[in-house]
Amino acid sequence: MRGRGILHKIVSLVIFILLEIAMLHLVSANADLQRIWIARGSHAFMGTVWGASESVRHYFTLSAENKKLARENEELIQQLAKAQQRLRQARIDTTATDRHPGYTLTPAEVVKISRNKQHNYIILNRGYEDGIQEKSGIITPYGVVGIIDAVSEHHAFALSLQNHDISISARLGLEGGSGILVWDGIHSNGAVLKEIPLQYHYQPGDTVYTSGHSLLFPPDIPLGVAGGSRVINGATNEITVTLFQDFSSVRYVTVVHNDSFDEIEGFKE
Amino acid sequence: MKRGFWIAYVLLLMAQLLLSNYFHVTPYIFLTLLPVMVLCIPIRMGTVSAMLIACLSGLVIDFLSEGVLGLNALSIIPVAYARNGIIGLIFGPELFARKEDFSVGRCGFGKVAAALFLSLLIFLVIYIWADGAGTRPLWFNGLRLLASLGASFLLSLLTLNVLAPDPRK
Repeated sequence: MRGRGILHKIVSLVIFILLEIAMLHLVSANADLQRIWIARGSHAFMGTVWGASESVRHYFTLSAENKKLARENEELIQQLAKAQQRLRQARIDTTATDRHPGYTLTPAEVVKISRNKQHNYIILNRGYEDGIQEKSGIITPYGVVGIIDAVSEHHAFALSLQNHDISISARLGLEGGSGILVWDGIHSNGAVLKEIPLQYHYQPGDTVYTSGHSLLFPPDIPLGVAGGSRVINGATNEITVTLFQDFSSVRYVTVVHNDSFDEIEGFKE
Repeated sequence: MKRGFWIAYVLLLMAQLLLSNYFHVTPYIFLTLLPVMVLCIPIRMGTVSAMLIACLSGLVIDFLSEGVLGLNALSIIPVAYARNGIIGLIFGPELFARKEDFSVGRCGFGKVAAALFLSLLIFLVIYIWADGAGTRPLWFNGLRLLASLGASFLLSLLTLNVLAPDPRK
């Protein structure tokens, strides 16, 4: 009984829809204004229906879309890795743009560095195959990092400036007195400039540069800023220096080698 | 079956023809008797029969009067489709159970007037909306709906005693 009632309602609805469609068609066929209006409504309705069906279709094709996006993502990750590799190379090249006449510059990357010892060292990813030689300096745009001590085929072992066995020739200001710069053994960016004759006056805050008196480093490389001082044995000043170089972040360096090193060393023999 | 209903129905259909052809006092008022005629079709006829009768009546008016062909039929078919729902909503399911037709004397003037009002509202909303075809402003359509609803309602009330007479009299 109830089933017949539902069937009757469905039949009524179908007949109602058919009659209305027929009447709409009749109206549309006999009046231009109504035809345009009905066509506009029909297009809007169809647009909505098609839009909804497209949304449903998109929903069911999401799996394929996800796979496609995953493939694109993988390609992008590969492109990013290549771009990062090129960027690294570009950075290495940039560090080599500082030109120092009479010196051969070789860009390198720090492979390993120790910072928590009294005798710290650095290992670079370039060896004699790349033209690296012993007794070469290591610099960055922020100052001196160390000195090459031993070279293998593809790597170089260097003594860090944070090593008590290493000292470099440095000068107070561009025209001040020269002395010996060594690590203070305490701070990661602390150094001491020793053996500055008393007649050379300076102001705390003056910049300390490489002197150029050693064969290892070109002159006038900024190293750090002078701080307080004390007189040693009544003959020389010992000045604390705050280095520009942050050893915890050093990664790309330039190996500098004096082209006249062997010739000048020959005079000593 | 109400006595003389179909004669009254045909006569009112002719009256509607006259109204549609000669009553053009103002564009704001559209007089119609079709909703009350369809509403008063005997309940035992069923929805499908009522829709077919309504469609035929609308087409007769459309063919024999001025105006857009199919507009009256388009507007009256939904009234026939909603007729059982309106009657059930306002008069309750008892009428269907007893297969009795409504009348003012049996159901009260208020309920009959409410059913008539709803039928007219459905018809006129569709008719005015489709007649304007999106070219007339909302205020015009609204004003036309109110004026036509009032005038047609009063006119339809006059026909109730003919289409839905009190069986106790």
